[in-house]
Amino acid sequence: MLGEYRTLLPFLKKYRWYYIFGVLTLAVTSGGQLFIPQLIRLAIDTMSVGGFDLSVVGRYMLWLTGLAAVIAAARFSWRYFLHGASRRIEAELREKLFANLLNLSSRFYGEATTGDLMARATNDLRAVRMAAGMGLVAFVDGVFMSLAILVILFTQHPRLTLIVIIPLPFVTLAILVAGRLMTRLFKRVQESFADLSTNVQESVTGVRVIKTFGKEDYFDDRFAEANQEYQSRNLAYVRVSGMFFPAVTFLSGLTSLLLLRFGGVAVIVGTISAGEFVATLTYLEMLVWPMMGAGFLVNIIARGGASLKRLNEIIYHEPEIASPPNAIATVKRTSLSIEGLSYRYGEDLEPAVSDIHMRVPEGATIGVLGRTGAGKSTLVSLLPRILDPPPRTIFLGDHDVRNYDLHALRSTFSIVPQDTFLFSASIKENIAFAHEHAPEELLARVADISTISRDVADFPEGWDTLVGERGVTLSGGQKQRIAIARALAAERPVLILDDALSAVDTESEERILSRLLEERRGSTNLIIAHRVSALSRSDYIYVLDEGRIIQQGTHDELVAREGMYRDIFLLQQAESREETHRGGAGG
Amino acid sequence: MDEEKVISGYDPTVVRKLFGFVKPHIVVLLVAILALGIATAAELALPVIIQRAVDQDLMADHLQGDTEDLRALSQQNPNVEPVVFGETAYVLESSLTAMAGIDKRSLQAEGTISETAYYVFSLDEPGDQEVIESHPDLFRTSDGQNRAGGASSRPRYAAIETSDLTQLTTEERRAIRSQDIDAVSRKGFVFLGFLLTVFLFTFAQVYLMAATGQRVMKDLRTRLFDHVIRQRLSFLHRNPVGRLVTRITNDVETINELFTNVLANLLKNLSIMVGVVITVFLLSRRLGFIVVGTLPPVLVVTYLFRTYARNAFRNVRLWISRVNAFLSEHISGISVVQLFTQEQRIGKKFASRNDSLLGASLGEMYVFATFRPIIDLLSSTSVAVVVYLGAASVLEGVVTLGMLIAGVELIRRFYRQLMSISEQFVVLQSAMAGGERIVELLDEEDRIPDNGSRTLPRPVHGTISFENVTFSYRPGEPVIRDLSFRVPPGHTVAIVGYTGAGKTTIANLLSRLWDVDSGRILIDGVNITELPVNELRRVVQPIDQDVFIFRDTIRENIRLGEPLPDGRLEEAARAVQADAFISRLSSGYDTPLDERGANLSVGQRQLVSFARVVAHDPAIIILDEATSSVDTETERLIQNGMRALLSHRTSLVIAHRLSTIKYADRIIVLSHGEIVEEGTHEELLQYGGVYANLYRLQYSEHGP
Repeated sequence: MLGEYRTLLPFLKKYRWYYIFGVLTLAVTSGGQLFIPQLIRLAIDTMSVGGFDLSVVGRYMLWLTGLAAVIAAARFSWRYFLHGASRRIEAELREKLFANLLNLSSRFYGEATTGDLMARATNDLRAVRMAAGMGLVAFVDGVFMSLAILVILFTQHPRLTLIVIIPLPFVTLAILVAGRLMTRLFKRVQESFADLSTNVQESVTGVRVIKTFGKEDYFDDRFAEANQEYQSRNLAYVRVSGMFFPAVTFLSGLTSLLLLRFGGVAVIVGTISAGEFVATLTYLEMLVWPMMGAGFLVNIIARGGASLKRLNEIIYHEPEIASPPNAIATVKRTSLSIEGLSYRYGEDLEPAVSDIHMRVPEGATIGVLGRTGAGKSTLVSLLPRILDPPPRTIFLGDHDVRNYDLHALRSTFSIVPQDTFLFSASIKENIAFAHEHAPEELLARVADISTISRDVADFPEGWDTLVGERGVTLSGGQKQRIAIARALAAERPVLILDDALSAVDTESEERILSRLLEERRGSTNLIIAHRVSALSRSDYIYVLDEGRIIQQGTHDELVAREGMYRDIFLLQQAESREETHRGGAGG
Repeated sequence: MDEEKVISGYDPTVVRKLFGFVKPHIVVLLVAILALGIATAAELALPVIIQRAVDQDLMADHLQGDTEDLRALSQQNPNVEPVVFGETAYVLESSLTAMAGIDKRSLQAEGTISETAYYVFSLDEPGDQEVIESHPDLFRTSDGQNRAGGASSRPRYAAIETSDLTQLTTEERRAIRSQDIDAVSRKGFVFLGFLLTVFLFTFAQVYLMAATGQRVMKDLRTRLFDHVIRQRLSFLHRNPVGRLVTRITNDVETINELFTNVLANLLKNLSIMVGVVITVFLLSRRLGFIVVGTLPPVLVVTYLFRTYARNAFRNVRLWISRVNAFLSEHISGISVVQLFTQEQRIGKKFASRNDSLLGASLGEMYVFATFRPIIDLLSSTSVAVVVYLGAASVLEGVVTLGMLIAGVELIRRFYRQLMSISEQFVVLQSAMAGGERIVELLDEEDRIPDNGSRTLPRPVHGTISFENVTFSYRPGEPVIRDLSFRVPPGHTVAIVGYTGAGKTTIANLLSRLWDVDSGRILIDGVNITELPVNELRRVVQPIDQDVFIFRDTIRENIRLGEPLPDGRLEEAARAVQADAFISRLSSGYDTPLDERGANLSVGQRQLVSFARVVAHDPAIIILDEATSSVDTETERLIQNGMRALLSHRTSLVIAHRLSTIKYADRIIVLSHGEIVEEGTHEELLQYGGVYANLYRLQYSEHGP
């Protein structure tokens, strides 16, 4: 477990001065605190003689105030350095984590859930920060303070000390044992909380069934069960955790009790003074915290180690898809050729595409028709190596895509993916996503081509309108059109539309495509769609079904021939006639 | 990006509404508060016991004076108990306090009582006599003057100057002070008793408060859940599932903090602070004024800290939510980032947000790093001031040493509570924000009006009539236009049409998931809005395209809580031919299904949903067939099940399969919310319109 801490070593080195100063000033703080009871003792001893000199007490109290000022400064300083270092380390770790996440490939993301990754980036990181900050504090505090106090107490009154500190090891033990128990119970609480969340999630998602069967009462009951379980587990946790602090208070109170009994007799028989009695009382109170600290320390370090392990899994995860050694740094020609490409997502799964042969000459517009599940998106992901194709199956220019520098390869493509993903930024930022300092004219032009500019005029803040929950809710068609503008603004040699206009009506699709192809004249384009209308302008068309190419030819050739292309063409024609008819009647 | 309010001020409406949930548990809460009071009182008593031990047993200084004067004093205050040695007498120094209305200093000045301190003890143990006899010059016994009276052969008391005690050996001191040692032992037991009281009552308080909190949370969650699932579907469309889940789970959890941490700690801290001040005043009014006099600076600092801490905390939360939103968004959209090779730029953007978060986090750290040392400094300064001024009062004799020791201890306690209170404050505010969001959700009401009171005449025949029904999800975009049709009892009517023709909407309207804009829908001649919603839903039951399976056993997924006998349940499963695969499962009907029924095939899920409907035996069913193509085996399964499902019932089938359509008594072809063709399969094929076209292009492919 401690081996996981290797990740922190460079940071500990980087912030060594923070740690050195922090620990030094922490020692000053803790050491200084030891003298405060001494000063109070001196004052009280002075007073216990009848008719004492008030100015002597005054002098002690001035020292005390001065010492308190030094302690305050030292206390600020250690907090500044130690907490500062741990928070800085947390931030750097977070950045490192994200930097690596950005380079990991789709296989990694296929296996990890967003929820789990988020948990690592938040909870685990916090646990590590605790270990790097509070863990150290607890350690230094615990060791230093306990030793110092014990030394003082033992040198002064060894036998009395030996008796009164008997309960203190039990404090540490209690924390260790209760800590374990509490961790286990708390895990049960969290599991139950997850169940509760799932229950709500499921009921809200399946609310149609609940309503149509009129089962609200039953689902109330069902929820009540999960609710009750969560409550009981919480209470089981509270029974231990609620016992915890009272028990620690009780154990530390026992030290006072022992002192009262045995120290009291010592005062009576004159072995120690009243002042010493009070000072010992104060020291004992000061010992309680380090003893608790020792227990907490073990828990914090253990939790931090477990969390670091989860972080290391990401930080040391090598991306499966990366540039090869001696990569080709520039893409010279943009013709694509696919030769005998097959791809399966898992060993025991059917291939998503198989034995694909395709040519996309430089400057041509090629279409691919396929229904949902035909393997279109797999094909699109293989071209820029979002998924890794087998060697020597996809060629860009004269070279296997696997031989290019990854950045150079991907920069060749501009893709409008099937699932439109926009970021919750302004519309303008979304369009300029791949071209940060794009000139205004370019943005205006691509927005015009994608016809999103009309919609933007109606938005409350125009181009600066935010997308998503805190801004406008966009329709599927609007999202797709922004994604098209985004791809066009990237100004890259090869444009790929992956069912990019499925949520746009045929009429708008027609308008967008004609202007888009006008703009892209002379560049390489690959248009993938399940609608024939989107493909009719292509130079050549491939028909994909169940991962295989079943037909190919120009639009006219394919329409003339029996087959899937023609069937789909006719069905969609009938639909669109119907639509035009309605549109005329309605409008 | 979800930058919800994380911190809120005190809002009386929210508090009042939340208090409504606390009310039923008020008794337990009051018991908890009582336990808190007892524990706090016992905790405060602990230093007092030590003070008493120091003053009365450890120090036990007596002052000497004339018996007459001291008797007069004891008339004034019964706490002053003179030990009479004839003409002179001794009183316990700690009993001569301002609290007893006595000014020790002036008494000493006028010579009524001595400056010198004495130790006075009773001679009831044999050892005492020996000690006195071995040091005759140090002791004075009460019998010296009494012997003339002849009342007693042995003296009852002895006195020695405190400073002379050092001339005795340890054993001698132990012998003459055996009563004090016994007294300390007794106080030890009292101390233990109080410790146990603190322990038990603190635990009781913590547990009871947590239990109250948990119960309130449970009630809140129950209310919220019930509230949510009873809203109209449009409400559920408006509110993303994730947000509703957060309200019911996480937001309720922040309120829990109120009970487990804030309420208990706040009450405890405040009562200890008040208790400290009162105790100090009871000990000595002078000491009390001194202690209170040292407080203003710390109150000002705490007040300032509260504002800074709130802003810092708010800032941190804001940036945490921004960073997390950025993180989760870019994890979800990682493929877009990689497709457009924006890793570096996004990495930098993240770094800049991360820096802002670090800045906020460090800002928060500075606030706390400054506050804590200042409070400590003020605490020590207060101690110094109290000790110095207290020492002056000790000289005056207004305050005893024990009181001062207790005072110092109490003042430290006071500061500890103050520190804890300022930490609770931020939690309190964020709990308020959570409460506000919950109250907002509870205030949002959007239910289908359920005020029908008619019942359908029995037996229910299941005639469906749509009369001029018009409906739109969004104003101005009608999905159903002036639609009228009638389905006679026991008939199966198939509805076909292109995507977006309004087929599913018909199902939604008939089951009243939505209400019509105009026109009416009748079942057996009764307008469905005049029926109680529950009555309607017993009669009309739809089967959705997307079968929803709950994470429960197969049995429960079929019964949905209906107390059906096993026989009827299995009969239903047999009717739709689901029993074959169910009996092959490891635990049969008790096999638990995964979320969304992931451990069943598509066809099996469909059969479970059929069994569900057959078991509930509605007069009317609406079947929205799944569009997804399935393998022939599944197809066969489903077709078999369907036959049992549709027989003896009025059914409306939104059909995607040829076999289903052929099975229908009549076909309605829908286009843009209107009926364009109507008739049997053969009639429509001959007509050669939309249906013929659809059939040729779409359904013929999927033929059995």
